[in-house]
Amino acid sequence: MEAYLAAIAAIALIYVLLALGLTLHYGLTGLINFGHVGFFCIGAYAAAILSTKGGMPIAVGFVAAAVLAGLAAWPIGLVSLRLRDDYFAIVTLGFSETVRLVVTSERWLTNGVQGIPGIPRLFEGLGVGMPSALAIVGVLLAVNAAAIWLFFRLVKSPFGRMIEAIRDNEEAVRALGKDPARFKIRVLVLGAALAGIAGAFYAHYIGYVVPDQFIPLVTFYVWMAIIMGGVGRISGAVVGAALLMLFLEGSRFLRDVVPFISAVDMASVRIGAVGLALVLFTMFRPQGLMGDYTRR
Amino acid sequence: MVFWVELLIAGVVSGLVIGLVALAITLVFGIARFPNAATGDTMTLGAYGALAGHAATGSLLLGGALGALGGAVTGLAAYALVFRRLSGRSTVALLVASIGIGFILRAGLALAFGHTQQVFQAPLVRPWRFEGVRIHPNDLRLAATAAFALAVVFATLYLTPIGRRMRAVADDPALARVCGISPVRVMVALWLLAGAVAGIAGVILGMRTVVAPEIGWDMLLPGFAAAILGGIGSPVGAVVAGLIIGIAQEMATPVVGFTYKIALAFVVMLFVLLVRPRGLFGRVEGVR
Repeated sequence: MEAYLAAIAAIALIYVLLALGLTLHYGLTGLINFGHVGFFCIGAYAAAILSTKGGMPIAVGFVAAAVLAGLAAWPIGLVSLRLRDDYFAIVTLGFSETVRLVVTSERWLTNGVQGIPGIPRLFEGLGVGMPSALAIVGVLLAVNAAAIWLFFRLVKSPFGRMIEAIRDNEEAVRALGKDPARFKIRVLVLGAALAGIAGAFYAHYIGYVVPDQFIPLVTFYVWMAIIMGGVGRISGAVVGAALLMLFLEGSRFLRDVVPFISAVDMASVRIGAVGLALVLFTMFRPQGLMGDYTRR
Repeated sequence: MVFWVELLIAGVVSGLVIGLVALAITLVFGIARFPNAATGDTMTLGAYGALAGHAATGSLLLGGALGALGGAVTGLAAYALVFRRLSGRSTVALLVASIGIGFILRAGLALAFGHTQQVFQAPLVRPWRFEGVRIHPNDLRLAATAAFALAVVFATLYLTPIGRRMRAVADDPALARVCGISPVRVMVALWLLAGAVAGIAGVILGMRTVVAPEIGWDMLLPGFAAAILGGIGSPVGAVVAGLIIGIAQEMATPVVGFTYKIALAFVVMLFVLLVRPRGLFGRVEGVR
């Protein structure tokens, strides 16, 4: 039971990292990033390849995951950030699908659909079981706390005021002589690097990576989390990720209760529930659970 | 030579399908002003509708008609239940809701029809040969269907009063309203038309290949790419760009391989956005 709770906590904390990155992109700056899973995927594969085929220490993999995911965001930003925001959504969606095609096709590097097994776990030296599991959760908590602290500092800084101004009125920012695109690219790279770190944690936690783990549905899990929690609020990202985990694990238990539903059907029920949540929250509670109750 | 001509023909047929998807996307983008991510799953619904109709009646034509009708009804229902209530909200609200509708459609279809791939039980026909080039009569029939659907859409847009009103709203919603054009009637016509077009695209795709819950979603990216290449809001551009992307994908397959031909659509999209964001036939304003 403790092991199960530790496992849920670890996955939930990885989702919090993803949700924080998306909060930075969409909640604070207004970038409609529909390709978050692409950066997550790059981070996971970077960590997996370096620690297995590359034989590098795990720490190198983490740095590489953050750097490569951030670098991947750079050209995307250069190409599309001067465009209207709905175009940005389409381009990022295309980006994440292209990343998945690349890891599926480049067998020499990624083993194609077979994926990369045998990624070393974190803290293997502490022995298998509770000590290492608790250590992983502890590290994830520390990383999340650091990210949240950074976020609070960022929001209070001139940079934070600028990106929120871009979200609220980009024309006004431009009229003041600032170039919104430069700020947006920095935000995009920063959030992508955070997703890359989340990917490295995921790869080392699960122990294997395959392309099917990085379908666009994951991006919309994270969207569902921040929309449920409340867009643009750090507390919203945390609460939303917790709700998401409750939903994902709850649907697993539903299968134990309702025996005649098969695994593939359950996956469909889950997709449908995500869709329903996205539609209903957008229509009836756009500010989310933690959002400003006075505004609509 | 023969090999490339056969690829060109395959490219034209799949280009017509992409053109239909792009047409459905660009109509909605031009008039309702958001990229409708549920277009792909509306296609899938059309394909399953045709499959069920064919199984029930034994006629491919009736099945196809049922698929188109299913698409139209889905489009209208999505508008009446969701998009109408979100009018006046930001683009992202509509975009996220359309993703959600797509997921609901896909989940419903997978639960109703299962995850296994299904095929249309059509009689096998020997391909015709012209100078050594093989041409499948079925491909010709599907291409003719696509061309007919395109003709109907263009006739509706450019020859009927409701089409003129739709183009007026696309041009300038405020001015159209001042002129006494009812926005609701235009929207109902738009969603029926766009849904039917997506449904027909799904029927053709399903008859050419297989029917599975993901087929529509996989066409969304090429569809968006073609809509952008053609210039958002330009129906002619969508069809021309669909043909260009379809032919480019098939011709590139021997060079880049089967998986990367899907990525080609993404590359085309990035290139167009860099070099000419308004696309081939688009207007100057509104993109940057």
